[in-house]
This record gives sequence, structure tokens and C-alpha cells, in this order.
Amino acid sequence: MADTIRFRIRRQDHPDSGPYWQEFAIPYRREHNVVSALLAIRENPVTIDGERVAPPVWDSNCMEEVCGSCSLRVNGRARQACSALVDTLEQPIVLEPMLTFPVVRDLLVDRSAMFDNLRRVKAWIDIDGSWDIHTGAPRISPQEWDLNYALSRCMTCGCCMDACPHFGLDRDFIGPAPLAQVLLMNSHPTGKYSRADRLHAIMSDGGLTDCSSAQNCVRVCPKHVPLTAAIGKLGRQTTAQLLRDIFGG
Amino acid sequence: MQNPHFLLRRVHSLVGLVPVGAFLLFHLWENSKSRFGQEHYNTYVVEKIQNLNYVWFLEVFLIALPILFHGVYGMVVFWRGKQNVTHYGYFRNWMWLAQRISGVGVLLFLLMHVIGTRILAIWNEAVRQDMFSHMKNVLSEPYFLVPYLIGLVLTTFHFCNGLWSASIVWGLATTPRAQKIIQVASGVAFVVITAVGIHGMLGFFLAS
Ligand code: SF4
Ligand code: SF4
Repeated sequence: MADTIRFRIRRQDHPDSGPYWQEFAIPYRREHNVVSALLAIRENPVTIDGERVAPPVWDSNCMEEVCGSCSLRVNGRARQACSALVDTLEQPIVLEPMLTFPVVRDLLVDRSAMFDNLRRVKAWIDIDGSWDIHTGAPRISPQEWDLNYALSRCMTCGCCMDACPHFGLDRDFIGPAPLAQVLLMNSHPTGKYSRADRLHAIMSDGGLTDCSSAQNCVRVCPKHVPLTAAIGKLGRQTTAQLLRDIFGG
Repeated sequence: MQNPHFLLRRVHSLVGLVPVGAFLLFHLWENSKSRFGQEHYNTYVVEKIQNLNYVWFLEVFLIALPILFHGVYGMVVFWRGKQNVTHYGYFRNWMWLAQRISGVGVLLFLLMHVIGTRILAIWNEAVRQDMFSHMKNVLSEPYFLVPYLIGLVLTTFHFCNGLWSASIVWGLATTPRAQKIIQVASGVAFVVITAVGIHGMLGFFLAS
């Protein structure tokens, strides 16, 4: 077993400045993950050329693949840094930010485009009143619940957005994660009432039709959200909506 | 109200199936009759079609314009995507790129194919009268045979792979299982349709 762990990290000092690469090596320890390794680099931020530099900047929080904040490209593929176990990775481990989002600094990106797109598609449920409406909790069949649960696991990490060949700041596409949330909100007993609004939102510029079924999203999603099944179901819902728009009903 | 982009994309998908895809099947089916020989081909394939009611109208509105629309709008969509197979080398991602590239290839092939047959026949009496011999001559030239073979495979690939994505676009196949089944079915269709097409090309030489 190697006695060091080597990293090649893409650095960028400023949103508008150019990128450059630096290599680091830390002493080998069992069961490092990429976040704990970055912490170790931060303790002693010296490159393999012996130069002391500003420690790389990244984002992370929960350390259990739940919060979605530590997404970055590990050896070229977007995933959660916390669950990227060093012992399973090829070295030098190449770390890059998710470049489909704007870089803030080093590995830290600004994911607001994804949150804006969730707003664009009305990915929420209007409350049905702040008073007692005298009806019990709505009933949901176990089958429907099954799918809804899978969709609700999305932690807005943005990996699927990074992998999608159609999502990018220079383009309008809403992206896979917000699309899947449309399906979730549409199947909620109260959320159903805004169904046509959401479908119209994804039937406009940058909507569902910009997906070309490359299906990268579902391959990279750390939470196994059934993104492409959701996109297929939305295909069906928008087909029906189109017919309703043309013929009424 | 409806956004034009959504409608255009759905029309783009629909047109690829009917009439363009349907015409492709018809076309390869008819041409596979080349093996019945010169006389049969010229009379029962070429002449029969040329004598169709409103044939000009059908050619323009059911074939030329739909292909043009599908091609031009397809290009617009193509330039909007950004390929990333170097980062994400998954099978479907490669197929995505292959669909785009084959589309461009098909357009180039069609340009050559249509000029060399239908348009040439407008002023060339000999070609009009004996399409069989014309095709036989063309296909005996390696410069033409190779592009024809490539063009055929690109076209049938583009059509069959398009069937798969259309099944998702329209919401026919939603579950991964259904999408897998359609993937296999479109693979089989690709082999069969390509075989019919190649048989049609060979027919010009097999016929007695
Ligand atoms: S769908 Fe998956 S990959 Fe996409 S943002 Fe949600 S959890 Fe991340
Ligand atoms: S299936 Fe659609 S949303 Fe998912 S990566 Fe491909 S183009 Fe993007």
C-alpha cells in the first residue's frame, strides 16, 4: 500500500480569474474520504513542490451524503466528496469543481441556478389553509408512495445537473433534478391543484423537450433518484396536457 | 398557452416517425424488390410510384418538407447541447452523441442520394426510363457504393435509436424496464431494417 495519498486539484482564486493546477500529497491513512483528505491538506497546505499555498476551498456539511453540499468532480465524475472513499480511487485523485456551475473559488461552486429552476417550475405545494379544514390526511397508495419517496430523496447536490449535456448557464434547460421534483409535487394530493402550472412551466423554453435522453443524470445521482423514469412520466403528463390545451378538458 | 418550442420539438419527434420514418420503411421495402430484375423494378416499383395520384404533392409535403424540417430543427437542437462523453462515457451518452452525428451524416447522404436519383431523373430521360440500370451503375462504383452503405447504416441507426427516445419523449416507456425492452426491440429493428436495405442494394447485382 502506498504511504501517501496524492491529489491533483484544480485551483481558481476568483470567479473571473483563470484556473491552475496544484498537486498535494498527504500521509496515507486507512479509510480517508475526499473531505477528510481535504481537511488534512488544509492542516498543512504544502504542494509536492514544497510551496506553502492557501488551502483549497470547498463546500461540505453533513459528512453522510445527505446534505448535498460537497459535490465536486472526483476523477472527472461529479459525486459527493464525503462518500468518495480514497481507498477505492485511482491516484493521483483529480479534484475539480462542477464546472457546469459558476466557480466561486477552487472547488466551491454557486448552485443557485438549480434553486432558481426549482422556483421556475413551482416545485412546492401551496398550503391548503392555515386553519382546520376538517378533512383527514390525504390518502396515498403504497405504489405511489414508493415512487414519491424515491423522488423525495433528492438533496439538490447538483451532480445530475453537472453530468447532463444540456444543462449549462449559457443555456435555458431546467435540468434533471427540478424536473423530477415536478413529478413529485404533481402527485401530491394538494400539489395536484397546481399541476397545469408546473406542466406549462416545463413545456416552455428550456423545458422537458430539451432533454434528449442521454440519461447521464440517473447514472451519477448519489441518491438513486429515478430521474429518467420521472422524465418519461413527465413526457406522458405533458402529452396529456398538450391534448387538454388543444382540445380542452 | 402553448410555447412554440415545446410544440416544435414534439412535431420534430412526430415527423421523424411519420411520415419520414414510415417513408424510410416503405422505401427500403420497395427497393428490396430490385432482386426481381430490371423489368419488374422499373415497372412495378419506379413507374408505379411515379404514377401515384398527386405524386408531386406527396413528394413535397410528405417527404421533402418533413425531412427538411426534421433536419434543420434537429441541427438547432444539436448546437444547443454540449457533448461530454470524455467525462461521462456511459452507453446512452455515447448513443446521444451518435444520434447527433448520424443525423448530420444522414443529411449529407440524402443530399447526394436525392440529387443523384430523383433530381437527376427530372432532366435525364435515360435515368427516368431505366432507374434500375442507373442504380446498378452507381453502385458498381466504389466511390458511391461505400457512401451508400454508410448512408444506409446511419439512416437506419438514426431511425431505430430515434424510436427509443421517442418512446420516452411521448411518455410511452416510463420505467427503466420498459426503456430497456424498447432498447432491445429497436436494436433488433435496426438489424432487420439494415438487412433489408443491404439486400435491396445487392439486388441490383443478384437479379438475372
Ligand atoms: S436528483 Fe440526485 S444528483 Fe440530482 S440533485 Fe438530486 S440527489 Fe443530486
Ligand atoms: S436524460 Fe435528459 S436530463 Fe438526464 S442527463 Fe440526459 S439530457 Fe440531461
